Amino acid sequence: MISQRRESAFTGADEEVSAKLGEIAEDRYRSLLEAAPDAMVVVDQNCEIVLLNVQAEKQFGYRRDELLGQKVTNIIPKGFAERLIADHLRSPGEALAQQIGTGIELVARRKNGSEFPIELMLSPWNGTDGVLITTAIRDISERKIAEASLLEKVRELNRSNEELAQFAYIASHDLQEPLRMVASYTQLLAKRYKGKLDADADEFIAFAVDGANRMQRLILDLLAYSRVATKGRELLKTSSEISLHLALRNLGGAIQESGALVTHDPLPDVLADETQLIQLFQNLIGNAIKYQNPGIPKVHVTATRNGDTKWMFSVNDNGMGIDPQYFERIFGMFQRLHGREDFAGTGIGLAICKKIVERHGGNIQVESILGQGSTFRFALQDSERV
Amino acid sequence: MNSLRVPNVPLEVLLVEDSPGDVRLTREAFGEASRSIHLSVAMDGVQAMAFLRKEGEFSNAPRPSLILLDLNLPRMDGREVLACIKKNESLKTIPTVILTTSGDEADILKSYQLQANCYLTKPVQLDAFEALVKSINDFWLTKAKLPHQRPVE
Repeated sequence: MISQRRESAFTGADEEVSAKLGEIAEDRYRSLLEAAPDAMVVVDQNCEIVLLNVQAEKQFGYRRDELLGQKVTNIIPKGFAERLIADHLRSPGEALAQQIGTGIELVARRKNGSEFPIELMLSPWNGTDGVLITTAIRDISERKIAEASLLEKVRELNRSNEELAQFAYIASHDLQEPLRMVASYTQLLAKRYKGKLDADADEFIAFAVDGANRMQRLILDLLAYSRVATKGRELLKTSSEISLHLALRNLGGAIQESGALVTHDPLPDVLADETQLIQLFQNLIGNAIKYQNPGIPKVHVTATRNGDTKWMFSVNDNGMGIDPQYFERIFGMFQRLHGREDFAGTGIGLAICKKIVERHGGNIQVESILGQGSTFRFALQDSERV
Repeated sequence: MNSLRVPNVPLEVLLVEDSPGDVRLTREAFGEASRSIHLSVAMDGVQAMAFLRKEGEFSNAPRPSLILLDLNLPRMDGREVLACIKKNESLKTIPTVILTTSGDEADILKSYQLQANCYLTKPVQLDAFEALVKSINDFWLTKAKLPHQRPVE
């Protein structure tokens, strides 16, 4: 197909040849139009319909002769003519050049007056009577409905996520109050009456105190978990090295007690919520020190480039390791692999880590050999190349 | 010389608290900390203001040396009570300590903006709560010098 406007005048002989060629081209063109799966309408510079295919008849509910020679605004009331036709600022070619190949979404009208959303694809064609615009018209009603329903679902999902986070926060916050009463008074009972009642009473009170204490820790941990979402701050340029140092300072007691050796390579600036990054390092390194083999716990933190925009962090330890069958489970809420007598804690630490990393757009993974140590990996965005 | 503590005359403390469990716990903790404190209790903000203004049934209420104020109260909440106290020429000299479960930053900021003298959160563990009450007693009722108890009216 010829796509450029001809500026030069033709001589008589040329015109004849040209007309003949034009006819052949037009015949081929008509049959192409009929074979197209979309409704096709050809419009001239007066906005009049000069050609259409059977799909167009079906889609708009007109017979062919009812549309030929009619204004295109009958079937596409707004936005089409204005876009295509030359005005005082643009030649027809320029007007068209701005629209070619782009999908234009407009509203079309059927003979019975009903309207439906369409997408247009345009192509200019030099017919014998000047520049014509071939228009493929696709009914996108179904796509629009699907888009709208998808959008609605996303909105619903966001709303329910927000509600869930809010619920966890309120529940854990409001539950603390009555629980504080239970815990305080069982503790008061234990303090005042230990050894003054009988042995059974002492045991019962001890169980009540223990239960209340554990529930308190669970609720505080639930609150901490829900805060990752509800109290999260904007992700800003953050030095992961400084965050690591702050985490190590918070872990000072545990590090000193265990004699742990924590080392790291130079660490990059990343996009992060600093408070959460500190907590992430603190939980991972805290675990590495807590679940140790006999000997000196060693922890090493590194970051390597991961593609153009990301850094892959790894926290490696020489601890007791994790059986591969538990790799998924350890990131769940309140999941524990050891008895309470062996290790304290509710099992929220890695769930919080997972949530923090996910909030930063990444995921966290573990590799481990039982008895030899574990490596936790997570990716963070580089602060410069977003 | 500077001590306001007269032997046998207990120091007056007003506790504004709606939870009977907390009231008793505070009483117990003060009992552990000091025998020379008289704790009056207002169960909500309206009662607290009536007590402080010596209105109605509180016409004979003593002027407290210290107010312990919870934030979440029925009828009139702790923030309103605090605002009323600090707007009142006579009452605003009474140290008012916020004692609440809320550790919310907005609550902390708002309380200090309303001129709270100190903001404390109730610890969850009994030991820690007793230690906190003891430190309130040690600081506000023992070490801190407070204005004369009976202002010139």
